[in-house]
Amino acid sequence: MPAANVIQLRTLLAEKIPGLRMRLEAPHMAEYKFQAAGLRQIDEPLQGGFPKGAITEVIVAGAYYGSSTLLQSLVQQAAKANEILTLIDGNDSFDVTQLDEKMLSRLLWIRCRSVAQAIRAADLALRDGNLSWVILDLKSNSDQQLRKISPATWYRFQRLVEETGTACVIFTPRRMLAPARARINLRLQISLGAMECNPGGLQHQIKIEVSNSMRLGGNGIPPSTFK
Amino acid sequence: MFAAIYIADFSLEALLRNAPDLRATPVALVDSDLPKPAIIQCNAAAKTFGIVDGLTASQALARCSNLEIIIRSTAPEASATEILLQTAYAFSPNIEATAPGVCTLELKGLDLGNLPAMKLWCKKILQALGSAGLEARIGVAATPDLALLAAHRPESISIIQDAEDFVADLPISALAPPVEVLEILTRWGVRSTGEFLRLGKTEISERFGPVALELFKRISPRSVRPLKLFSPPELFSEQMEFESEIETLKPLLVWLNRFAGQLSRRLEAIYLVAAKLHLRLGLAAGGPYEHTIDIPSPTGEERVLCRMLQTHLETLRTASPIISLQLSALPTKPEMHQFGLFQNTLRNPNQFAETLARLAALVGAENIGTPVLEATHRPDAFRLQPPNFEFTPAHHSKQTIQNEGMPLRRFRPPLPAQFEFDETKPVRISCNIFSGMITEIRGPFLSSGNWWDENRWAREEWDVETFGGPLLRLFRSGEGCYVEGVYD
Repeated sequence: MPAANVIQLRTLLAEKIPGLRMRLEAPHMAEYKFQAAGLRQIDEPLQGGFPKGAITEVIVAGAYYGSSTLLQSLVQQAAKANEILTLIDGNDSFDVTQLDEKMLSRLLWIRCRSVAQAIRAADLALRDGNLSWVILDLKSNSDQQLRKISPATWYRFQRLVEETGTACVIFTPRRMLAPARARINLRLQISLGAMECNPGGLQHQIKIEVSNSMRLGGNGIPPSTFK
Repeated sequence: MFAAIYIADFSLEALLRNAPDLRATPVALVDSDLPKPAIIQCNAAAKTFGIVDGLTASQALARCSNLEIIIRSTAPEASATEILLQTAYAFSPNIEATAPGVCTLELKGLDLGNLPAMKLWCKKILQALGSAGLEARIGVAATPDLALLAAHRPESISIIQDAEDFVADLPISALAPPVEVLEILTRWGVRSTGEFLRLGKTEISERFGPVALELFKRISPRSVRPLKLFSPPELFSEQMEFESEIETLKPLLVWLNRFAGQLSRRLEAIYLVAAKLHLRLGLAAGGPYEHTIDIPSPTGEERVLCRMLQTHLETLRTASPIISLQLSALPTKPEMHQFGLFQNTLRNPNQFAETLARLAALVGAENIGTPVLEATHRPDAFRLQPPNFEFTPAHHSKQTIQNEGMPLRRFRPPLPAQFEFDETKPVRISCNIFSGMITEIRGPFLSSGNWWDENRWAREEWDVETFGGPLLRLFRSGEGCYVEGVYD
């Protein structure tokens, strides 16, 4: 039970600095709402989808693929749920021609040419408050550019999404985001044979490894792999 | 019954509404267009130092060393006239722009039968003008001319119920007769209009002619002249001509914020909001810069209007310094929006529009929006259009709409590459992201289009699996060999 003067101090700080976070610890899992990804491999281990008001890091490392497959799936899911999805395309690499026009109708696509531009665009999008789902795709940006991002940037983003309740998903080629509340690794290996199956089938071939969901709550969830 | 709104020292008042901190200090207005520039109006603080109309600036400064001298400007007077007439129009459908700083309103049909209702009505008009920075007085009487005479009284609201009593006590100078007539009347010892009336209409008109008849008509409670009805413009604007040129954003924003606040208050006073903002910057060299800002969710909120203007100006570079500023607002009625049960719309459309403007300034307007596919087989053919999430219909279909082909992560522009061919198929590739053998290949897939115009295109396309590398889409066209993207 905090002492009376601590309560007074907190009240004073809250008045002086609106939006100030008073707790050091992250909110408990049960306090989050979720943005359903529409894929069982993601929604089940994350207990409902990407947490709102938090950052989820999606790592597609090394010889694995699947980030564009997942992105397409998320655009489809947003259109079905009639949600606005903001895609900040770090290296202008998203292929829209493979999607149905109805699926694209709820997409706000921001085509960037550098990491610095993408980070500034993400900053603006996260501050808006209207955008419930913001995806930042840094998968195809060069490592040289990515190394220039200050770690403080991610903490600033975390504070922004906490205020606006935005579900922020960031695609990266390696683990980069210290304050990510959820971190998942994509595992998809594709061959020319996969051309035969439809993209919906491909989406279900993605293997997801939830590598760091400990931060989601006090009890945490052990790392798990979903196929 | 008629009401007259009167703004004393109108030209000075129009300027002081943009500089309210000067009201307490001695201020005099000089008309530089006169053959001999002289003071034409001054405030009460200046009058205490003996400043009167007609003095030159140096004479006035000799009487009051800290006198603030302002040069008359037509732009603030135009704004103040607009405010006066638009405010009056919000209270009566029949108004007349009688003179600069004077507006006459007809009260017929306004249901102001009793004195308290009339006083309240007058008070609301004064409040509305006060919120726009104008100090006015109102007179209500049986005729327009008597109402104006009543408005000249020092009280802020003068309601004349007994016109004859009111006229009897008026000083003769209040009728503003010609100087020679006033001199003669003064010599005769006629000080009030009551004394003037007692001389008799016929006798006076024999002496002074039509001038006297005009004076009689002005004070007669039965002489109701028809109003020259006026409809104010639907655009609300504020304007200013700067004495010194503006070269940076900061001083311009100070004025714009002030104007946005004034427009906001003017609109609020008559229960309207702004649907569009029109900005006009007069430039020192050449024509003006003009820009219209559409407000997605019409609002009268000062903060929102200021932010929209600021966002636009942050990226603006003008060819020369700014010498004048005009901000206009197109008014509309406030929106009553009923949200659908399943409608996921924008919570704050104005904030969203501002974010889009900032993003467009960052990445370029051509790089932000909702993609729309072009009706062509040309690869990667799409255009971006401004997003409209407000009225996008929901997709209630439970079925997943299947896209076509394996998702591709594109290189824009395509990566130049070198292919080694075995007869017609590439067997080895060398480019920035991969160099090595192709282990499996599908294609060529031939496509072409626009053969009928200069934009014709034709290409051969292959999907290839590389040895220990990514799955690529390659193509060869007239310009060379390229990697179009990585299957991802």
